Amino acid sequence: MIGTGLVLSGFQFLLTQVAAFLMRTEAFGVLPNLVPDFIRSMAGPSMLAFMSFEGIVALGYFHPIVIAAHLGLAMAIATEPAAEVETRFADLTLARPLARRQVITRTVVVLLVAEAAVLCMMTMATWSGLACCTPADAARPTPAVIGSLAITLGAVTVCWGGVALAVSSAVRRRATASGATAIAALAAYLLDYLGRVWDPARDVSKLSPFHYFEPMSLLSGAPLNRRNITVLLAVGLLGTTASYIAFSRRDL
Amino acid sequence: MKDVSFDVQPGEVFGFLGLNGAGKTTTIRILLDLVRPTSGRASVFDVDCQTRGLDVRARLGYLPGELGYYGDMTGAATLELLGRLARQRVEPAWRQSLLDRLEFAAADLRRPMRDYSTGMKRKLGIVQAFQSDPPLLVLDEPTEGLDPLMQDAFYELLTESRRRGRTVFMSSHVLPEVERVCDRLGLLRGGELVLMSPVQEVRSLAGRRVRVTFGEDVAPPATWPPACEIVEVTPRLWDLRVHGALGSIVTLLATRPVVDLDVQMPHLEEVLKRYYADRPVS
Repeated sequence: MIGTGLVLSGFQFLLTQVAAFLMRTEAFGVLPNLVPDFIRSMAGPSMLAFMSFEGIVALGYFHPIVIAAHLGLAMAIATEPAAEVETRFADLTLARPLARRQVITRTVVVLLVAEAAVLCMMTMATWSGLACCTPADAARPTPAVIGSLAITLGAVTVCWGGVALAVSSAVRRRATASGATAIAALAAYLLDYLGRVWDPARDVSKLSPFHYFEPMSLLSGAPLNRRNITVLLAVGLLGTTASYIAFSRRDL
Repeated sequence: MKDVSFDVQPGEVFGFLGLNGAGKTTTIRILLDLVRPTSGRASVFDVDCQTRGLDVRARLGYLPGELGYYGDMTGAATLELLGRLARQRVEPAWRQSLLDRLEFAAADLRRPMRDYSTGMKRKLGIVQAFQSDPPLLVLDEPTEGLDPLMQDAFYELLTESRRRGRTVFMSSHVLPEVERVCDRLGLLRGGELVLMSPVQEVRSLAGRRVRVTFGEDVAPPATWPPACEIVEVTPRLWDLRVHGALGSIVTLLATRPVVDLDVQMPHLEEVLKRYYADRPVS
């Protein structure tokens, strides 16, 4: 967790420096013209929002690799119940007066604390980067935008953490839980991508949790979409509830 | 498992035997509520293992057959964590005495679990099971991986636990071990309990081995006493298995030129192997 947090924080800090560099070299005026028209029309106004000082600074909150890192962290934590069953450590703990639900509760608490800590480190890195070495006249993202991006990223992480926890509570091997969740996340990400670029897939893409992950709209100035956050957290909650039920009923 | 029903009396060491896959570990896991039975019920101290599992598990110590630890945790941290999860407080002096008996150095406890050998892990498993001094100890193949000296240390610990009124329920397939430490035994075969009896009674089922050597050739009797089972008979050697009292065989030998008489107590193994092979001893 600390390693992931440090790497992502370093990335956030460096992005502020990249944004400052692009601004000093006046590249923001040129970049949109380098993008082919069809891509610009497909991406919509968010493309312009991205190709700005604010957009580059915020990139670390929605770049696919960053999302994958968060999901990887969530899966590593959420699959701990399966790992403890696999290694038989659960035999030692659950042979004591410890309720099975406590194993799930512990995992949820660790997941939430770890995600909050990583997001905290990332936002601190962003703000320290902006504060120390960026041009004074740069159009910096407001605290509300950075906060909303962090909340959105946190919500999508919690969502997939819940899914991983549900799978982990029903299987005997960590690799099975991680693999199944990773494949589901990849499929959902691609489904959402298809829905964004291909009209016939738009309706189906609403089944993907990533459909409710819209950082670009935040960059364009839209307020935090509470409905999206609610959907993501509801999926996470559903997964958590399923994991309580599955883990309490299963044979270990 | 089917029709497995048995009681273990307080203060006794009960051996639970069976071949691999007979259902020993499954039975233990049902008692610990790690596995749920499709029907029937199990209770410990008259408390249902499933509906009031926490109360049951608060009063027992468990040594699993397969031990899993966090490799990064030290032995000391593992014992501390597992001690905290028990409802009874772990007395540091008692824990230390367990560590001393099993020859655990302080330096060993500071090492991460991934560096432990199989035997070390087993020894730590024994300590964690005994450390809260529970009234019931459930031990699954307790001496698996222990060297002979540590096995002796473990048997002494069991003897002391029995002396202090603790109840021990242990599964094993090491018959000399069961013979040495258990008061009663239950034998599982194919998920069914086929034998439950005090160890002494089970041993007596096999009969004593009597080998008689003669100084000159002798003819065998026309009829053997009913308690006699012939293993081998030659003009100068009778090898017999005698069930019950030896009086009849002594009478038979009184008029014959006996040079040597060797009477061997039966081993549990002789009886149990027959049960394992589905040939019960009458």
